[in-house]
Amino acid sequence: MGLSSVASNSEGMQLCIFDLRRGQNEGQELDKILFFYPADLPFSTQLSVIGLSEGLITFTRIFSPEAACEVIEAERHSHVFFEAEPDIWMVVIVEKNKEAEAIWRVEGLRKVLKEVHSLFLMFHGSIRSLLEKEPAAGSVRSQLYIFIMDYLSDFLSSKKLQLPSFRDSLKERATVQMLTVGREAAIEVQSLVRVVESCTGSQSSHSLLLFQDLLVSTTLSPDDTINLFTYAVLRLTPRALSAGLSSWSYLRKGSAASTAVTGPTMGSTTSLSEPFHGSRGTSAGDDHSHAVRPLQHDRWSKGRDGFLITDIWQAEPGSLVSVTPSIWLQQTEEKMYLCAYQHKSLTFIFLIPVSSVINGEQGILAVKQLVLEHASLKMLKVEEKLSKGWGGENAYHVSGYRYLLVDGDRNLSRASPPGKVATLTKDSLLALSKLREEVDIEKSRAKWDNDGHEKDLEICTRARNNAWVISQVTRGKELYMVLENANETLLYASDAVQKFSNRYCNGAFSLD
Amino acid sequence: MPSHGPKYGRPDASGPGRKGSTRIWSDPPTNAPASVARGGARRNGLVYEGGNQRDWNAGMKERNTTSLLNRILVNCSSQAKLYGSCVAAKVPEVERDMCLKEFLALKSCMQRTLQRKAELRPGIIIFSRLNSEEPIDVCIPGSRGLFYDDGNKIILSPANDQVYSWKVVPFDPAAAPISDSISDGPILAIRFSLDGKLIAIQRSNHEIQFQHRETGETFSHTCKSESENILGYFWTDCPLCDIVFVKTSGLDLFAYNSDSKTLQLVETRKLNVSWYVYTHESRLVLLASGMQCKTFTGFQLSSVGMIRLPKFEMAMAKTEANNKPVLAAEDVYIVTVYGRIYCLQVDRVAMLLHSYRFYRDAVVQQGSLSIYSSKVAISVVDNVLLVHQVDAKVVILYDIFLDSRAPISAPLPLLLRGFPRSSSLGARSSFKDGESSEVASYPSDHEATMYGDDWTFLVPDLICDVSSKLLWKIHLDLEAIAASSSEVSSVLDFLQRRKLEAYKAKHLCLAMARTAILERRPVTMVAKAIDVLVTSYSNSFKTGYFKGTKAEKAQSSGAAYATIHGTSVNASRSDTTGKSVEREYVSGLDGESFERPTFSETDSDEDGNTGYVKPNSNGGSSKLLLGAETRRTGGQTSLHSENVGASNNILRSTLQPEALVTSPAISPDEMYTYVFAPVEEEMAGDPSYLVAVIVEFLRGCNLERIKVRPNIYALTAQLLARNERYAELGLFIINKILEPSKEVALQLLESGRHNRQTRKLGLDMLRQLSLHNEYVVFLVQDGYYLEALRYVKKHKVTTMRPSMFLEAAFASSDSQHLAAVLRFFSDNIPGFRSSPDHNTYYHLLNEMNMVAA
Repeated sequence: MGLSSVASNSEGMQLCIFDLRRGQNEGQELDKILFFYPADLPFSTQLSVIGLSEGLITFTRIFSPEAACEVIEAERHSHVFFEAEPDIWMVVIVEKNKEAEAIWRVEGLRKVLKEVHSLFLMFHGSIRSLLEKEPAAGSVRSQLYIFIMDYLSDFLSSKKLQLPSFRDSLKERATVQMLTVGREAAIEVQSLVRVVESCTGSQSSHSLLLFQDLLVSTTLSPDDTINLFTYAVLRLTPRALSAGLSSWSYLRKGSAASTAVTGPTMGSTTSLSEPFHGSRGTSAGDDHSHAVRPLQHDRWSKGRDGFLITDIWQAEPGSLVSVTPSIWLQQTEEKMYLCAYQHKSLTFIFLIPVSSVINGEQGILAVKQLVLEHASLKMLKVEEKLSKGWGGENAYHVSGYRYLLVDGDRNLSRASPPGKVATLTKDSLLALSKLREEVDIEKSRAKWDNDGHEKDLEICTRARNNAWVISQVTRGKELYMVLENANETLLYASDAVQKFSNRYCNGAFSLD
Repeated sequence: MPSHGPKYGRPDASGPGRKGSTRIWSDPPTNAPASVARGGARRNGLVYEGGNQRDWNAGMKERNTTSLLNRILVNCSSQAKLYGSCVAAKVPEVERDMCLKEFLALKSCMQRTLQRKAELRPGIIIFSRLNSEEPIDVCIPGSRGLFYDDGNKIILSPANDQVYSWKVVPFDPAAAPISDSISDGPILAIRFSLDGKLIAIQRSNHEIQFQHRETGETFSHTCKSESENILGYFWTDCPLCDIVFVKTSGLDLFAYNSDSKTLQLVETRKLNVSWYVYTHESRLVLLASGMQCKTFTGFQLSSVGMIRLPKFEMAMAKTEANNKPVLAAEDVYIVTVYGRIYCLQVDRVAMLLHSYRFYRDAVVQQGSLSIYSSKVAISVVDNVLLVHQVDAKVVILYDIFLDSRAPISAPLPLLLRGFPRSSSLGARSSFKDGESSEVASYPSDHEATMYGDDWTFLVPDLICDVSSKLLWKIHLDLEAIAASSSEVSSVLDFLQRRKLEAYKAKHLCLAMARTAILERRPVTMVAKAIDVLVTSYSNSFKTGYFKGTKAEKAQSSGAAYATIHGTSVNASRSDTTGKSVEREYVSGLDGESFERPTFSETDSDEDGNTGYVKPNSNGGSSKLLLGAETRRTGGQTSLHSENVGASNNILRSTLQPEALVTSPAISPDEMYTYVFAPVEEEMAGDPSYLVAVIVEFLRGCNLERIKVRPNIYALTAQLLARNERYAELGLFIINKILEPSKEVALQLLESGRHNRQTRKLGLDMLRQLSLHNEYVVFLVQDGYYLEALRYVKKHKVTTMRPSMFLEAAFASSDSQHLAAVLRFFSDNIPGFRSSPDHNTYYHLLNEMNMVAA
């Protein structure tokens, strides 16, 4: 099974989650650890890693109680910190390896931590609340373990964990990629959304509409949108579904993450949890065996009525009756049933408050029936409209440019297609990664300096191969750009940005 | 619709049938003048109307206490009766599903009654969906009969040596008759020429006498051959001839020579004719021939000439093998609906009403309607086909616009309105010219004589009650029809096609739209209803009801209304009807020549109709008066307050005067003002439902390419923001579902007070709209004064006050920034250095620096 091989092959990376409020007494330090990867590391090593992190956090809190330690740059390792919940910390330790790919951007790594935590929140609720429910933390640990291992399996590349490196500089995690639609299609989409919402019969139901891997419409809050979108792209969209079915396909394109080999990874749950529980020596019993594994591969499929079905969620531990998935919304902290309907490239996810469905599965079935009755025609129409307007994989390619556009206000990003980014030289990408690091620092500084007032920023650097690496931040929007084989004058670079801005960003980067 | 003269008249010796003749009723010439003087008491309709209103209210109170069953019985009596009589007819042979139709009608009526128990309108006691207007009193002492001249739209009543005529268009119960003296003698038919100069009186089967109205000169025209009878005659505006005689041997077309005062034979069409049907409205004469009288030849004598229609046969079911029924004249009706000409034929054996549509070179059978009465009559009001089921005393309504064969509503009885009741008459009496002063001893049983045997149905929408000598005009109670159906979209569709009472229909539509939204009906259903309204607006726009504003389609239609006035309304209307109908003749049929006469006639119809009002003889009831009255007095607008229901108070003061409304189509602007805005005010709680409805509306508008004014967009933005659905609002803006405009931008800025992202969207929109001033002001407000200055410089905005920037810079207490702003203005505005602003802030800057130092 893949897990052990991951463990043995990834000395380069460690990931841990610990709770500062636990294990305060001598001899109970192990209690702090909620998750450690690789799990087969001796406890002493685990404890030393966590001890170091804890010490640094405590120390830096003296100076900055609000935001303690963010990163430690040691000679051979980088420690990236993320306080997921109050006093619950996630730390990832990566090896600085001069060889090839091991060049990370701190913010990029932190985003990974954030993402996995957000997804966990969505499916299980906050770690703190789980801990409060079960102070022994046995099932929390197993849930975290299973969940994070499932998540990390996406980063597996030839039996090696590939965390986002400088190669992913023209990508932004925790953002949503949107489909650009015309007004008419947009109205049709909204009409569909409203009709489905009216079918659910609850005012606080929500929906998310995707076309291929792109978001078309959402009625969720920004954070929830990101989480559900991320999950949908990972497991629900047609591409994710087919990736599961035919992992051997040569035709699969897309990011390294989503092309992770999924075939041979996961074995049975028992073998998965073996190293963990074995080493912990706890008698957790079987409470882990029914832990929901929403990120498990190949567990979603399209039903005959067009709705996606899964057996991940089960009515009772061990039973074969699967129930409708449910998730937690971050904003309203409400539990919602998740239903997904798929028609060709269209994936329509709608969420119904658990509290509003009176008789459980029966109620859901009724709602689904209503949706089919009232909206399936509209879905057809919308799908047709969107397909007509869809420019294909490279729809958002702008020739001559390799770019990343981030709208921080709306959590949107758009980038050159991965295939095009791959044509950039390593030097350009490294330069860009460095530039982004700079901008990240500048941004976080501005955030602490002057809350609410956004600073503008513009950096153009000349890299090898006659490349311009440009970054511009204006009023919450960020633009990163690599122009290879470009004219050497700065004027050329700024002209290129202006042109791009006027053409594709409504002039957002050419205000003055 | 032609009248059936002979049925109600004295036995006619003049031939097999006289469908085209216009006699309604006539006394035998020898009869002594029957003086049933009812005086003007009958004209007190308005007084009565008022009194009636009170009765209604009283009735309502009472009704609220009566039992439900009672109400069902009262409300559904007609359906119950239908069903009962149907069952009675079939017993003892009881079979499954017998009288299903009747039963369903009764059932739906009962259900409706149950549903609407709370909202039963006072006064409309039974199903008063159809209201007859107040009648015209056509009673003349010594009258020897009543004739209807549909060419001139007058009722004629000869008495002694006079003939009295009442104009029925405009329909005015107070109209005084005009009298012409005629020579004595038998009268079989009487018609005025279209220019009103001649009176043609058929004296016998062989003779027609003509009389010049001014001079009184007369001349006669007699048939040459004894073998042929004159079946009837009619005046025409066909350029070929002036008058057409229909004889048993065919048609004779004559031209009138005013100099020699003679008729000249222009053309003869030889045919065997058993009887004929003619309506002036359609200019179509149908000649029946054959054993069963079911072979027809049609001619249309329109203003462009005479067109011969292909010969066709009507379908007749056989009772028994050897018994062939003969088609009678009174079973064939020519109706004009939506500018199309149809012929309706009653098949008494099959109990079906067959319809045929006339094209220039074809007659196409269109399908059949079921009838439930051995005697039926047809009326057309505002393009709605009314099939009177005389035996059952109900009317079934059909709107054959969409070729649908389903009735609009359940069978409805008539309600006589303004019927003079002796109790309400009191001592009031105002009399027609010179009439006797006998106060009416009004037969009290008149109220019960609905569909009496002596009712005659006239083309297209008149009913003559021969026994009481009252002429009624049928009038659709749109409100009641609307209330009778729960399917909003189909009712709206129906209302949107009503032109006669466009104002009322429009109000009803608006009210229904509002109600549907307020009641939170399913979005799909409301969407359907809204689609109907939008499509109808789009159609009315295309056909030019909003003439003169074509160029500014998106502009307020209020303005469009204002440009249309008085008679020009009618001009443009008929014109457009013509166009729209022409379009229907895509299949190579020459619609124009065929249809035009109909339109010119429709024209005059509508002329009348627009002006048609209840008379304002006593000012007390001015609430109910409109139309001509209003137009004469100019701006006075009194609206049908009772029409629109309680929730419409807001509208009264604002909607255009009724006379100016020519189409029930509702513009997007009106949708906003009269539907969305009021609904938004009334609707509490989650506005997402309203947003859903607006999205559907926008979808409809987008499909029809109708531009929507920004106020709807701004409202949507406001609704979304109020619900804190900022993400969706962002989507709406980014996808341009809410098109950019200053209103929307300002709304976003306003809503964005609690949401920075939304505020930014507003700012961006201002910038994209190149509203430099506003953009800069808001930038400075948000503290981005340096960015604003850069923007000012780039876009050369010259109208900004330096003090605004200086204040903002000073407020940020950053001396460097303040210095920069000062420097900017010193460099860019000549003379700034000597301005008080400069001095003040220069001083302040120095102070700041001092403190810092």
